[in-house]
Amino acid sequence: MENTLHNKEMRFVYGETLNELIEQNPNVMCLEADLSKASGTNPTVSSKHPANFLNIGVAEANMISIGAGLASEGKIPFCASFTCFASRRVYDQITISVAYANMNVKIVGTAPGVTAGPNGGTHMCFQDLAIMRAMPNMTVLSPCDCYELRACLHWMAAHRGPVYMQLIRMKQPQVFDSTYRFAPCKAVHMRRGNDVTLVSTGYMTPFAMQAADELAKDGIAVDLLHCPSVKPFDAETLVASANRTGGVVTVENQNILGGLGGAVCEILSEQCPVPVKRLGVPDQFGEVATEAYLFEKHGFSVQHIKQACRDIAARRRK
Amino acid sequence: MTEKFDQEQFDQMAAEWRYIMTDMICRAGSGHLGGALSLVEIVMTLYYRVMRTDPKNPRWDERDRLVLSKGHAAPVLYLALAYQNFFPTSWLKTLNADGTKLPSHADARFVPGVDMTTGSLGQGLSCACGAAYAARMDGKKHRVFCIIGDGESNEGQNWEAAMFAGHHKLDNLVAITDYNKLQIDDFTEKLLTLEPLCDKWRSFGWEVFETDGHDWDAIYDTINAAIAVRGKPAMIIAHTIKAKGCCLVENKPESHNIKVPDQAAYDKFLNAMNTKATLPY
Repeated sequence: MENTLHNKEMRFVYGETLNELIEQNPNVMCLEADLSKASGTNPTVSSKHPANFLNIGVAEANMISIGAGLASEGKIPFCASFTCFASRRVYDQITISVAYANMNVKIVGTAPGVTAGPNGGTHMCFQDLAIMRAMPNMTVLSPCDCYELRACLHWMAAHRGPVYMQLIRMKQPQVFDSTYRFAPCKAVHMRRGNDVTLVSTGYMTPFAMQAADELAKDGIAVDLLHCPSVKPFDAETLVASANRTGGVVTVENQNILGGLGGAVCEILSEQCPVPVKRLGVPDQFGEVATEAYLFEKHGFSVQHIKQACRDIAARRRK
Repeated sequence: MTEKFDQEQFDQMAAEWRYIMTDMICRAGSGHLGGALSLVEIVMTLYYRVMRTDPKNPRWDERDRLVLSKGHAAPVLYLALAYQNFFPTSWLKTLNADGTKLPSHADARFVPGVDMTTGSLGQGLSCACGAAYAARMDGKKHRVFCIIGDGESNEGQNWEAAMFAGHHKLDNLVAITDYNKLQIDDFTEKLLTLEPLCDKWRSFGWEVFETDGHDWDAIYDTINAAIAVRGKPAMIIAHTIKAKGCCLVENKPESHNIKVPDQAAYDKFLNAMNTKATLPY
């Protein structure tokens, strides 16, 4: 497999990987709701595999339930739209047609959190990880780079059951390479250290890596866990790390309520109570703005991550 | 599809089903009686005269599918499946009981023969579209039937599905509207106008039929005419009477979800049935 994926936009890797999956299994289908160019599947999938490409129109609820009907006949539909429409707009369709009925439907939320920038507050969804995580039968993923995205997609096609995945559309810094293998419910140890545990997922992982590397120069050794699988969550690795470091910082491109930070706090409060600082959006809606502005306003830039790590390292459980 | 049609026998069985269903719901203490009683002749015709199914192999790939989008009418579907030997009739008395395999709304996870899990109104027709689209992709010959409610037709998602099926000319899809003219709070025309209902469906690219939903021959002939349509999906507007056969609540809004708190109420409902029957459990 090529080692140049990171030169591509994530959405095109999504389209190209769907093509691979369709070629491996003709039951794989690409469903869109009039955002196929934004998702990177048009023309990548639509021209190469038109029979497996189905554009439902601006009707996300219909897309999800049609996906359930297709899945009931053995198809494996990947249904994509902006995160706001792929999660909160169709929450009941996903709940009943997909998760409750336990249908093999894959839901892809594109342009998560602050990456919806120019579309502004109406489209900026900070709650999809939280609400999807609260749904029985649902697996919730947030890959951070092209290699992990591709690996997640291969796993999703092979896994029988509902999955929700965040898809960052633009080009992302390389984190992994073509040897990367996705394991569900497994955190990836990006940096090892004993001073503070830092937990990230998806879009925030490259920022967390930068923060950890800069802190290392200041003599603070960060134990950085990247969690592509927000549900199921790798509690074992988290608890082992927290036991060693005595304090945890989380950072996510989401509301700090109920998502990654929520998952971490639920586990730690029961299994390893230590000081925790959650970074992300403090229960506010988004707005049309640059990423730098939003990071600064809500306090989850690299500088904020570093400061939180310093603070937690200073007051950690000894 | 198991038996030759004998009107007397079917009339008797329909009356039995109505009595048993009322008993099932009354035993449970409450339940959706009206919209299940209105569907007896339609569901019986589908399972006894139209649909190809195999009770020994409920997931038989070539079977015809039925999506009961108005999932609260599950008791009538459960009766059809029990009588067709998909599962023992003894299960029927467990409707809604703790740990039951027969939940209040149609459930494909537990009930052999149920093709789609439903219960949140408006989603079933989209699911049926997906199933019909998949069948056509794979060159399969089975038909997909879908029953929606008239009150359910308030849900916008039905019209998204209507547009999709019309656009994609899903002629392996036959939908039926149980048009009993009542929804939970009131008569459909008082609460939110559906009319002109046939014109609505026609304008979405469907072939539309109307039938008396309690007349055996009319239902049978109309379903067959709908199956024969080529190049577009078919909608059958079936005129029915909500809670038909239970004079206590027939054609009344309160028939939607009856409350049966005690033995006196139980007796009242069962005594109100036009025909009595022996319970198969």
